[in-house]
Amino acid sequence: MSSSNDPRLPQAGASDESLLAAHEKMLGKKPDEQAHYKLLPLVLLFVFSGIIFYAGTYLNHFSGNYDPAVFDEHGHSASGNAAPVKLDPIVVGRKSYEQVCSTCHQSTGLGLAGVYPPLAGSEWVTGSEERVISILLHGLKGPIHVKGVAFPGAAAMPVFGQVPGSGYNWSDEKIAAVITYIRQEWGNKAGPVTAEKVAELRKKEGDRAEWSEAELLKLP
Amino acid sequence: MTTASHAAVTAEASNIDSSARCTLSFLIASALAWLLVSGLLAVLHLVQAYDASFLAHCPIFTYGRLGAMQETASIYGWAANAGLAVALWLLARLSGSPLRSLNWACGGALFWNLGVTLGLVGIALGEGTSTSFLHLPYFVQPLLLVAYAAIAVPGVLAWTGRKQSMTFASQWYAVAALFLFPWLLSAAQVMLHFAPVRGVLQAIVEGWYVQSVWYLWLFPLALAAAYYLVPKITGRAIPSYDFSALGFWTLIVIGDWTAGRHLVGGPVPAWLVSLAIVSCALLLVHFIIVALNLRGAFSSGGPVLKFVAFGLFSYLVGGLWDAVTCMRSVAVITQFTWIDQAQTQLALTGAFSAIVIGAIYFLFPRVTGQAWPSATLITAHLFTTVIGTLGLVLSLVVAGWIQGHDLANPAVSFADIAAHTSSWLHFALAAQALLLVGNALFALHFIRLACTKPAASGVSVFAQPPAMEASAS
Repeated sequence: MSSSNDPRLPQAGASDESLLAAHEKMLGKKPDEQAHYKLLPLVLLFVFSGIIFYAGTYLNHFSGNYDPAVFDEHGHSASGNAAPVKLDPIVVGRKSYEQVCSTCHQSTGLGLAGVYPPLAGSEWVTGSEERVISILLHGLKGPIHVKGVAFPGAAAMPVFGQVPGSGYNWSDEKIAAVITYIRQEWGNKAGPVTAEKVAELRKKEGDRAEWSEAELLKLP
Repeated sequence: MTTASHAAVTAEASNIDSSARCTLSFLIASALAWLLVSGLLAVLHLVQAYDASFLAHCPIFTYGRLGAMQETASIYGWAANAGLAVALWLLARLSGSPLRSLNWACGGALFWNLGVTLGLVGIALGEGTSTSFLHLPYFVQPLLLVAYAAIAVPGVLAWTGRKQSMTFASQWYAVAALFLFPWLLSAAQVMLHFAPVRGVLQAIVEGWYVQSVWYLWLFPLALAAAYYLVPKITGRAIPSYDFSALGFWTLIVIGDWTAGRHLVGGPVPAWLVSLAIVSCALLLVHFIIVALNLRGAFSSGGPVLKFVAFGLFSYLVGGLWDAVTCMRSVAVITQFTWIDQAQTQLALTGAFSAIVIGAIYFLFPRVTGQAWPSATLITAHLFTTVIGTLGLVLSLVVAGWIQGHDLANPAVSFADIAAHTSSWLHFALAAQALLLVGNALFALHFIRLACTKPAASGVSVFAQPPAMEASAS
């Protein structure tokens, strides 16, 4: 008969039933109500927290903002060094016009008879650059004549520029784009307006109230 | 010799073991056959690594096909058969009743091995795919999926029909492995071969499959055996057992997030690689818990415990190594070198195989009711496994380190790199050959035991073990 430590016959140190029962008993332990904190779980808690802290920090630094187009862990996207894209003022202008201006002036540019003046064929739009820029920058209050029709001024033109009291705070570029757009749309044929010109007028007038028709007519 | 004194306790070797003799013998025998085939192919493959002209005139044995055949034989031949045999036996033992529907497993094993054979022939004839860990030709892949499901049937029945409502860590790992692999295999088949995803996504899916095969299939199979064998042999309950569930879930949940581990520096979104690096670090939680739970393996014991201890050592070192080599600054040197190979060898030959071989040494005498014929052969196998694995891994690491530094230096030509690593590859070849010899001895030993007639009193050769005391911690 073989001895108990014969390498040819690996003996068991415990029966299967007792193995299962012993381990079940260990899992069913009562909570540690007397606060007999064991050292091991505390040490593991710190070690595991350390690993998780490292993991979180690493991901935070090298995730590339989870951008599928970022291939470099330092976060530079493939097109990061390219020059900023030049935007077409007509596209930007149309987008802003459709979002905001068309509420009153309509997407046809014809306005609403007696309330909102038309932009299509309007001498205010296609005429003096300074006047149309001023209207957008600081707004317009009071009656106005457009294409020989009198508008009593029931609705005021809001303030769009980056000036005190503005509800829109549109950048000079955006205002230039919208004006450029309306000056060539609906059969209008006037040249583009630059953001520099808008900025120049904004600085010149600074903090002022809405324009009136009389004040505008004094502008060149 | 003590005999069973109380009838309620099952004898140490009972009909739970002997009823599965036929199926388990077939699975293990096929596993060993594939182990020898893959060992032989690995030797040939290593020879080609430093002598490119070796067998180069023969298309069947060109470098690429040989490597694909070797990998397929070791994973789908050796690891699958052996791991499933051990898992089925474990689930039967822990359920407390003999395996049911063994015909399914027998038929499944037959078709599985037929599929792997066809697959190897297909690869040799140039029908293989270019996917890591899934070089099998298209036509055998669905067959393997069906055959696997059939083999797993008795295991699932043993799990659902277990006598106790409680579950043990071994069962979690074994059942997880049984259920997860079909998901991995079918998802990889569809996404890579039958309705392939496009572009860089293929590399990501491939990386996911490779990592999942390790972390969700092979390692759980090995851990199932280790979690059973260590307390079973030492007779002491697992220390800090209440952490084992955390260890299990960290492996299962975080394991396949390491998918981007081998894509460092590749054309994939940076967050994917960062996430893989972080997951490798988080897996250290799992490795620490396994080390705490199974430290009993490193106490003195018979050859089975020594095999398991060596396997666990390789497993833990491999986990730490993974967390280090996946870091971007280290991967710059180690990636695409022999170090990748060393890591695979440590995981497969070291961690998985050593534990599973230990389990086979433990279970097969119980299944046959006989002792192994020779103690010397077992010792010889233990030494060849330990020395062979360590020699293979270390020489590949050195070769890989040299290769990595040379590759980073544009002044060094490929021919020079090959010359610099050549001597270390000779060492690796010797170690690989030693492993092959040891495994051949194991196969012969297995055949001798399998061919002995079951002794009438075979069951009584096992001493009735004492009951396990629940320990305080």
